[in-house]
This record gives sequence, C-alpha cells and structure tokens, in this order.
Amino acid sequence: MSSSSYSNYTNSPCAACKFLRRKCSSDCVFAPYFPPEEPLKFANVHRIFGASNVSKILHEVAPHQREDAVNSLAYEAEARLKDPVYGCVGAISVLQREVLRLQRELEETNNDLMRYASCLGGETSAYGGRRG
Amino acid sequence: MSQIKTIHNPIGSLERFLDLLLISLIVYMTLKGGTSGACAACKYQRRRCAADCPLAPYFPAEQPKLFQNVHRLFGVRSIVKILENLDELQRPEAMKSIIFQSYVRDRNPVHGCLGITQQLQYMIWVAEEELKAVNSQLQLYRSGQNHPMMIHEIGEKQEDLDLGMGLPVNNNNQGNNTIPFFSPVSETQQQQPHMSYCSDQVNNHDYNPIPDSCKEVLNNHNTSLAWGQNQFPYNHHNYGFINQNEHCSETKNNNSVMAIQSQLVNLQMASNQQEEEVDDQNYDEIHQFLEIIDESQSFTETKEVYASSSGESLKEPIDEIGEKELRRAATCFSLTSVN
Repeated sequence: MSSSSYSNYTNSPCAACKFLRRKCSSDCVFAPYFPPEEPLKFANVHRIFGASNVSKILHEVAPHQREDAVNSLAYEAEARLKDPVYGCVGAISVLQREVLRLQRELEETNNDLMRYASCLGGETSAYGGRRG
Repeated sequence: MSQIKTIHNPIGSLERFLDLLLISLIVYMTLKGGTSGACAACKYQRRRCAADCPLAPYFPAEQPKLFQNVHRLFGVRSIVKILENLDELQRPEAMKSIIFQSYVRDRNPVHGCLGITQQLQYMIWVAEEELKAVNSQLQLYRSGQNHPMMIHEIGEKQEDLDLGMGLPVNNNNQGNNTIPFFSPVSETQQQQPHMSYCSDQVNNHDYNPIPDSCKEVLNNHNTSLAWGQNQFPYNHHNYGFINQNEHCSETKNNNSVMAIQSQLVNLQMASNQQEEEVDDQNYDEIHQFLEIIDESQSFTETKEVYASSSGESLKEPIDEIGEKELRRAATCFSLTSVN
C-alpha cells in the first residue's frame, strides 16, 4: 500500500477522503480537521452540508480559523441529525429563555437590595451624625 | 359614411377586447408564478418555478439573500431531503430554523450558531455569578437588620470600598458579536445533542463553564453537554471570555459594570444596528420566519424585542435600564471585595 500520496499528517487518508473514496492528497483541505479516527464527524457534516459546501466555507475563512469553523459545523450537523426540525437552534432558544429568567430574577433581587441599601443609608447617616 | 362607421366600431371594440384579454393573461401568469413570479430558490437556480415547488413557500422572490445563505450552507438537495423526511406540520418550523442557522452562519462564518450558544452560556454564567453576589449581599443586609450594630459597620465599609469592575460582562457591540433573538421553540421539541467534537487547543482551561442552571435546563431534555463542556474556553481568573475565536477575543477587553440585562439589550440593539449596516431589505422579513413555534399564542413580547423595526420601542426602556443598571451595579459592587 503506497503511502506517499496520502495525507501529509498521517499515513492513512483523512476521514473525508476515506468517506469519499478518493486519494487523500498532500494539500487536502479536509485532512487537518477530519482525522481518520473520527469518521462520524465527516459523515455527519457531509450528510447535512455536503463536502463541497464545507470546502467552500473552509476556503473562505482564514487558515487559523478553520478548525473552529469545522468544529462548529460538526456541532451543527450532529444537532441537525438529532433534531431534524430545530437542530442547534433549539438549544439557542432554551438558553435564551434561561437568560431572560435569570435577568428577571436578578432584577427582583437587585430591587430587594436597593430597598435594603436605602434603609441602610438612612441608618448610616444617623450613626454618622452621632459619631461626628 | 355611417355604414363605414358601423363597420369600424365593432373592429375597434374587438381590438380593445383583445388588448384587455392579453393584459389579464399577463397578470394571471404573473400571479400564477410564471417566469417573473418564480420563488427566490428557482430564480437563483434559473429554472421554472412549478406550482408545487417545495421551496416556494419559504423563499419569497423579494428576499434572495435568504435563499443564498441557505444554499451556501446546506445546499438545495440537503434541504429537500430534510423536508421530505418531515411531516407537513413540521416543515415550516424546520425551514425557519434552517434559515436562521444559515443567517447566523452568514453573519459569523467561523462559529455560526455555536458561537451564539457559547455566548449565551457565558451570559448565563455571568448572570448566575452576579445573582450569587447580590444574594450574598442581601444576606449581609438581612443579618445586619437582625443585628443592628452591624449596620454601622456595613455602612462604613460601603464608604470605604472603591467601586470595582464588578463581574465581567461581554459587551458584544463589535464585529459579529450579536445574538439574533430566536423565538422559543415548542416544549416538546427541545433536544440538546450529545457532542463530542472539540479542539484540543481550545480546551485548555479548568473552569467548568456550564452554569448549574444551564445544565439543569438542558439535562431536562435528556441530553449531555460534552461538546459545550469541552468547548468553553473561559479563563476564570481573568473573568474574561478568552477564546481563540476572534470575535470573542475582542470582547475580553470590553468589560464594564453594566449588568446582564443591559448587555442583552445592547446585543439586540447592536444586532439591529448591524442589520441596518448590512442589507436591511433582505433581512427585514427574516423576523417573519423566526416566529414562535407551536406556542404561538403568547410570544408577541419576544417578537417585539427582536424586531428591528421596533427599535423605537426599545429606546426608552434601554435608557432607563442603562441608568438603573449602573446605579444598581454601583450599589451592588460597593460591598464586594475587589478580586
């Protein structure tokens, strides 16, 4: 088995080229981000977004951002497979509601604190007056 | 002469009738979706938009950008496949989420919805920390009321302590640090996938970024947060959102004393402002596609919060909120030790 034409990172083709059953060249755009140990990662991304779309996205972002881009795509692909209706957007709405809930709770608690603080302000001035 | 007149008049009326018929035919063809009435999807693909085009209901011709985003991320085949596997009732909701996801990816090509998820989780963490701090102060006050002599000491402390920076908040008014507000989904549809992909370079902090309340909320839907836990690059000691991701690294320098509430509002305002900068016309209608899912009866509130067209309605509350929050934060943090 010749390994010279395979990816420059490992001796085996990357998960993408394995999935697509093609030669993994040294300049394969997928190779750094889809290691052969994680075949499901590329499979999910390919199923939802398609290899060509992913390739275009990778070429559009800067090289140092590609890993983050791939990971976010993998996350979204897996989310979409688990929940075909809402995908990762379902989680966003859950979190947004949580933020709103905490916001409300914080406001109520701060109102309580303001009430105590105003009471304290009155008493403190009384004490300060006595001391002075 | 009169005979000639009578001959010409029927011909003239016939011509007029034919003209009218032609005009009405053109109008009919346009309304039916002829070549000039094709949906954005078919227009983009330069094909005839059939009467039963599956994408036509979701991509009106006036908003080509919506379809372009979706096409760039998912591709037509993928969307059609997704729609085919869903019920009729689920398809509009699925398309809304797909359009939203594509829109977010267009605004933030690197992180997409994951960036929003992480920002929200960070906001939750900040809010919980702030809540803990405020609750502990409340405890102090309450115990001070039970022990009147302590009130004097607390008052002295209040005068002596400087106002610190307080809890870090992510003032995401720059770049792509905006969170489009997606309306809540149906309770029955919430799932959080188990994620396992992470970047080793990112996973280099000890701090567990998932707030307890967030975990509880998401675990209620029988999911795990492996992805989020691994992907949360918080540096606890710096109270910043330190991330290799560019857009977040900008925000670690923007700590302020504004609380989570004004932050959220600022995010939405920034989102509105950014939308105006980019392309208003194409995104004006996106709010229509982000309507409440299933729980359609009671979410007009959230729609108003999100809609950029309702920017005016937000202005006054925002000003009040900003002042209130500053005052509140000043009181709140005067008693905390500066970390």
